[in-house]
Amino acid sequence: MSVYGSSPLNKCWAMRLLALLLLSVNGLSASQLDQLDGALQVHGFLTQAYVKTTENSFFGDSQDGSWDFRELGINSSYRFTPSTMASVQLLSRRAGEMYDGSLDLDYAQLDSTIYTADANRVGIIVGRYKNPFGLYNDTRDVAATRPGIFMPQAIYWDRVRNMVLSNDGAQLFGDMQVDEHRFSIRLIGGKTPIDENVEKSYLNPLVDPEMEQDGLTLGGRLLYEWDGGRFNLAYSSAQLTLDAETSMLPDGEIEIDYRVLSAQYNSGSWSLTLEYMQEPLNYSGFGGVMDAGDTTLDGYYLQGTYRLWDDLELFARYEESHYDKEDKRGKKTAQRLGLEAHNFYSRVSTLGLLWEVTEGLIVRSEFSQVDGTIFLSNLENPPPNERSRNWNLFSLLVSYSF
Amino acid sequence: MTTNYRAFAVGLLLCLSSSANSVDLVINRDIDYESLSRNTLRSIFSMRMTQWPNGKPIRVFVMGDKTSQHADFSKHVLGVFPHQLRRAWNRQIYSGMGQAPMKVNTESEMLEQIENTPGAIGYLTEDYINERVRKLSVE
Repeated sequence: MSVYGSSPLNKCWAMRLLALLLLSVNGLSASQLDQLDGALQVHGFLTQAYVKTTENSFFGDSQDGSWDFRELGINSSYRFTPSTMASVQLLSRRAGEMYDGSLDLDYAQLDSTIYTADANRVGIIVGRYKNPFGLYNDTRDVAATRPGIFMPQAIYWDRVRNMVLSNDGAQLFGDMQVDEHRFSIRLIGGKTPIDENVEKSYLNPLVDPEMEQDGLTLGGRLLYEWDGGRFNLAYSSAQLTLDAETSMLPDGEIEIDYRVLSAQYNSGSWSLTLEYMQEPLNYSGFGGVMDAGDTTLDGYYLQGTYRLWDDLELFARYEESHYDKEDKRGKKTAQRLGLEAHNFYSRVSTLGLLWEVTEGLIVRSEFSQVDGTIFLSNLENPPPNERSRNWNLFSLLVSYSF
Repeated sequence: MTTNYRAFAVGLLLCLSSSANSVDLVINRDIDYESLSRNTLRSIFSMRMTQWPNGKPIRVFVMGDKTSQHADFSKHVLGVFPHQLRRAWNRQIYSGMGQAPMKVNTESEMLEQIENTPGAIGYLTEDYINERVRKLSVE
């Protein structure tokens, strides 16, 4: 069962409560908020998007134009000493049929730096923390830090978002600076909050899958930054095993490996990002029925952004996802599993615009042309063969953060 | 050729005028430093370095993203654009990994905060700098 999510009643008041909290906090002046010389801080964000697709459903009933993409978050942090900080964030996220907007504990962690010398440090984080995967996973729900209205689905799947979102456990971190070179390591170990989105993506929703994690999620990230982030290179990885029960098949186990290679170059007015993901999936048990599902998924995106003026940015992105990295157009997989090929890949070209109206207010607008349906959620779409291979996506987003 | 010379002259003028108004790094007098390296400054202003070597907390003060002082400090001292710095703060604030710098609205306020807050660091233009704060050079 899901750790996240709850009753429909809960979701309504959660959103209202959080909105109310955000508005009242925002009404206070910065000096009232930043008590104790800034040691106690409160921040938050409100995001509302509009999504329109020509075919298929993405973040709600988007063929008719969907307003069901909304994110509200509020956090607080307190620095007890320069080397000890506690922080907690509550999140309400409505994402079509994938997330219902109920209140989640996004993170609640205690961060302690054990050793520090200038910019070098070693420390530990305990509690529920966001996983440092790729360049964007740990703030993927915050519009102001995302590389677009939607995360590049080739790396940061929304249909299995919880698989990599956060962990309940511990994280070790170390940073080292040598002249212009900065090395950063994060090692994670903990339990992953599995939800219905994950359950119904790795197994057919028709067999009523229920999953529980076997053991811990282990992984981490190595990050190299040169010249204050002009060039970044990262390798992230995580492994987890899910025990699954279904209504029709014998019990089974799914082993998931998740690896991301990231590279980014930032000059003042433009930046170029490339991330590549590989995810070997291994099904065992299930009376042998799921053995044909064994595969190595992969995907990548290349994004270029250009800052026209101080507050206006243009971007272009191309991404590709494959259910089987050896079968880029899904044809062999389609034959093997008896479904249309478009269910096993996606190719997306996106053009977008970002306008930073003020320090806290941003507006984004994007248009994507999509070939393939691999990242569409089973929770908000008809059975795979009734989905349309070619579709377009237009979206608009307004977000305020403080 | 004429166009080239003109462009050069305009460029030179821009450089001169911006350096005339450029900001300097300032810290609270209780911090015993004469200079800091650019890499250390980047760690401090991206809110990743939280304490001075004597163990005292670092208090970072900045002005608004769109002020000329902040833009000048970001671009010429740190070597990053204000929007890049803002994104770095947001990544920390909303992942629980760090806190935001304190914002002041005017240089007078900046001077007052740097003077009165132990461990404070910020920037000021020449006209505002006096003996009550310590001006630092960047290595």
